[in-house]
Amino acid sequence: MAPPTSLSQAASAALATGGAASAKGPGRPGQLQDETLGVASVPSQWRGVRGIRGETKSCQTASIATAEASTQARSHAEAQVQTEAPVPVSMLPPSRLDTTRLAAFLQRVEAMVIRELNKNWQSHAFDGFEVNWMEQQQTVSCLHTLCYPPAQGQGLHVTSISWNTTGSVVACAYGRLDDGDWSTLKSFVCAWNLDRRGLNPRQPSAVVEVPSAALCLAFHPTQPSHLAGGLYSGEVLVWDMSHPEDPLLWRTGLTDDTHTDPVYQVVWLPEPRQSHRFQVLSVATDGKVLLWQGVGAGRLQLTEGFALVIQQLPRSTKLRKPPRGETEVGTTAVAFSSFDPSLFVLGTEGGFPVKCSLTAEEAALTRMPSSVPLRAPAQFTFSPHGGPIYSVSCSPFHRNLFLSAGTDGHVHLYSMLQAQPLISLQLSYKYLFAVRWSPVRPLVFAAASGEGDVQLFDLQKSSQKPTVSIKQTEDGSPVYCLEFNSQQTQLLAAGDAKGTVKVWQLSTEFTEQGPRETEDLDQLAAEVAT
Amino acid sequence: MVNLGSPPAPRRSKGADRLGTSLPGSRAVPGRGEEVEETLKRIQSHKGVIGNMVVNAEGIPIRTTLDNSTTVQYAGLLHQLTMKARSTVRDIDPQNDLTFLRIRSKKHEIMVAPDKEYLLIVIQNPCE
Repeated sequence: MAPPTSLSQAASAALATGGAASAKGPGRPGQLQDETLGVASVPSQWRGVRGIRGETKSCQTASIATAEASTQARSHAEAQVQTEAPVPVSMLPPSRLDTTRLAAFLQRVEAMVIRELNKNWQSHAFDGFEVNWMEQQQTVSCLHTLCYPPAQGQGLHVTSISWNTTGSVVACAYGRLDDGDWSTLKSFVCAWNLDRRGLNPRQPSAVVEVPSAALCLAFHPTQPSHLAGGLYSGEVLVWDMSHPEDPLLWRTGLTDDTHTDPVYQVVWLPEPRQSHRFQVLSVATDGKVLLWQGVGAGRLQLTEGFALVIQQLPRSTKLRKPPRGETEVGTTAVAFSSFDPSLFVLGTEGGFPVKCSLTAEEAALTRMPSSVPLRAPAQFTFSPHGGPIYSVSCSPFHRNLFLSAGTDGHVHLYSMLQAQPLISLQLSYKYLFAVRWSPVRPLVFAAASGEGDVQLFDLQKSSQKPTVSIKQTEDGSPVYCLEFNSQQTQLLAAGDAKGTVKVWQLSTEFTEQGPRETEDLDQLAAEVAT
Repeated sequence: MVNLGSPPAPRRSKGADRLGTSLPGSRAVPGRGEEVEETLKRIQSHKGVIGNMVVNAEGIPIRTTLDNSTTVQYAGLLHQLTMKARSTVRDIDPQNDLTFLRIRSKKHEIMVAPDKEYLLIVIQNPCE
């Protein structure tokens, strides 16, 4: 729309010239005429007149999805259970009885019971009737053949074996038993965990290097990983096999107290006052039997000591005259009685076992230096073998019986009550290195021979020849050590001169007790000559 | 015969028996205690008998010839077994009831004579 001012100018110019004639030419005179003009209008800009300008728009919200769900808290109840320590049932004091009724009851049943007792005594109904609850194993089989190649490469023999207290780990000591010279070769102690999956027979679960040949081992009676060992140098060490990086717990060191000769056996003993703590007893060919206690800083300290001197041996049996100048008796083996914890039997180089006691008081006549006074433990001397004894074992079922085996190839069964052996068996033409009673059958024992066999003897079946003879080595190299597993009673481990440990599974006849075995053993022990 | 409790008192004319039950006013018939002892001794002296015991209805031993811990073990276990055996017999036939229970093991034979109030347990080592 043109601005109002310009329109009004055009309109007024048109009015002034009287209409249309103004543009035509200047010569014509303008004449006033009447004309109607269009109406010029200006639209109003007033908001109210113009009206509200509106557009219709609409929108629609999307439909809302709804769903219904409900929950209900479950009701719950709490209950607690508490086991109570069992109240030991004790017998009723007799004053609360009603004896009349008791007597009447006994009168009623007595006849029937006596009838049944008599019938039972004469009955043959169950003769030869045997029930097998467990799978029968008919033969002896070799479960594992364990070895340590670096030790075998050095030509080392397995000198000692020990099972731990849970029966799942077997440890063996490597060394040489036929070296006469002082040897300084390094040696090993290896342990295999037989219950572990993926057991590699050539890879022990734990290996400990020892500075000198290890000659004996003993696992701790309650701690599954503590192991004591005796070395060729006379030291006694205690390792913790669960720490392979730093296993050494205690050592005796090389002091005045230490053995001066190879240690042939170590045994754990409960302490006299605190029966849950243990000390180590070591036996060596210098004639000393020493008791060690682990004190702080990794040292084993001597607490008690015994020395076996030939002049102090009780003269219960005729012994060979000792060579001049030597008064000590070399001890090579020790066995503690399972019935009397202070009584033990020592096997000696002279071939005679000696019964000793930890409570002996007499001082030993020896010039060996020692920080604690050495005592003479011998109480009784038994009649000798034909050569040094290598192993003794006390019966776990009878307090008086023990076995000894030595280089004469014979096994003697002694009773503590007499010097002569009850039975003398020749098992081998070579040496016998180890003999052990079975932990489950009172009449069974095993012996390791220099011919490479492990011989199992059942005194019930035959008292002359072995029931089973297991060939451990093909070329006849000797078997040096053997141990029964007291937890898994069908296992027997034996170590030989080739450096292998074989774990044998025994047949059921060696693991299950027969009905009258304990009585038969008592009968055997009672054959003491009066 | 093990008689736990009071030591045997000398026989008194008041009728207290040899067991030492001398409660005043107790009506112990003279000789009853002796009868009990003699019956048990007769059973014990039979061939092969290792021990015997009398157990009451709750499984608590009253008389025994064995040591205390063995007795308590046998009494508890055999009482439970006897109750189970009795309920087995009666479940099969409600008119029936248990009269005697024998357990034979490798080493010996255990015989139980049950009753409403007591159990007599005898352990015998039969000849083999």
